[in-house]
Amino acid sequence: MGERIAFAVAGLAALGSGGLVITLRSPFQAAVALIVSLFSVAVLFLLMAAPFVAAIQVIVYAGAIVVLFLFVIAYLGDRGVMGAPDRLARYRGLAVLGVLALVAQGGLLLATIDLPGFADDPRPTDDIGSPEAVGRSFIDHYIVPFEATSLLLLVAAVGAVLLAKKAVQAEGGR
Amino acid sequence: MTGVPLAWYLGLSGGLFALGLLGVMIRRNPLLLLLAIELMLNAANVALIGFSRYWNITDGHVFALVVMVVAASEVVVGLGLVVAVFRARLALDVDQMSSLKG
Repeated sequence: MGERIAFAVAGLAALGSGGLVITLRSPFQAAVALIVSLFSVAVLFLLMAAPFVAAIQVIVYAGAIVVLFLFVIAYLGDRGVMGAPDRLARYRGLAVLGVLALVAQGGLLLATIDLPGFADDPRPTDDIGSPEAVGRSFIDHYIVPFEATSLLLLVAAVGAVLLAKKAVQAEGGR
Repeated sequence: MTGVPLAWYLGLSGGLFALGLLGVMIRRNPLLLLLAIELMLNAANVALIGFSRYWNITDGHVFALVVMVVAASEVVVGLGLVVAVFRARLALDVDQMSSLKG
């Protein structure tokens, strides 16, 4: 029962702060709401026997990525939210309608899916979420994707440097 | 009545994904767009870890970690673009950024 209560609290917090992320006007407040959402999802990861992923979620996501966001938002200042007229505002209702249709389809899928024990209590798990288990899985089965992520990070870093260089040159700097 | 069934996790994941999708469609500020994309990536991670728990295997955790790496790369490049647009004295509005070049 306690697990279900924790799920309800963390799930509602994740959904509520997720709603705040997309409704708040100020990017700064939206980023802080995203931190709350990420922490709630980290709690859910703990409930799902994934302590290592939960730790990485807090350290990398809430700790590094959102802080990067906050730095950029602070750098851009208030000019970041310029009041340009929204040319697509009249289609907003259609966007909501489309998302609602998607949610209805997903709900139908959840209601009709045929997996054993899908809506019952989960079976007890072995040691699947510890750093050791995740590390073994990486090295034993997923070594190529693991190396590919390093390439991806390198390309992203080079891309960011190139973008910054171009922006500085556009301003007349070197 | 002790554990949380997979269906609940998938429902929550779908709800989070729908919120992120809605955010991408109704917001015009590129920063808020990136935040909404983060929300969607997180929803996918919840589903991955949920299935990992269901099948009692570690593979979903590995995928979730790879998704996090992709999210980090995407944020780095996306924020680089936002800053470049900002320094070129353009409005931060994805509608007006539709013809980026050079």
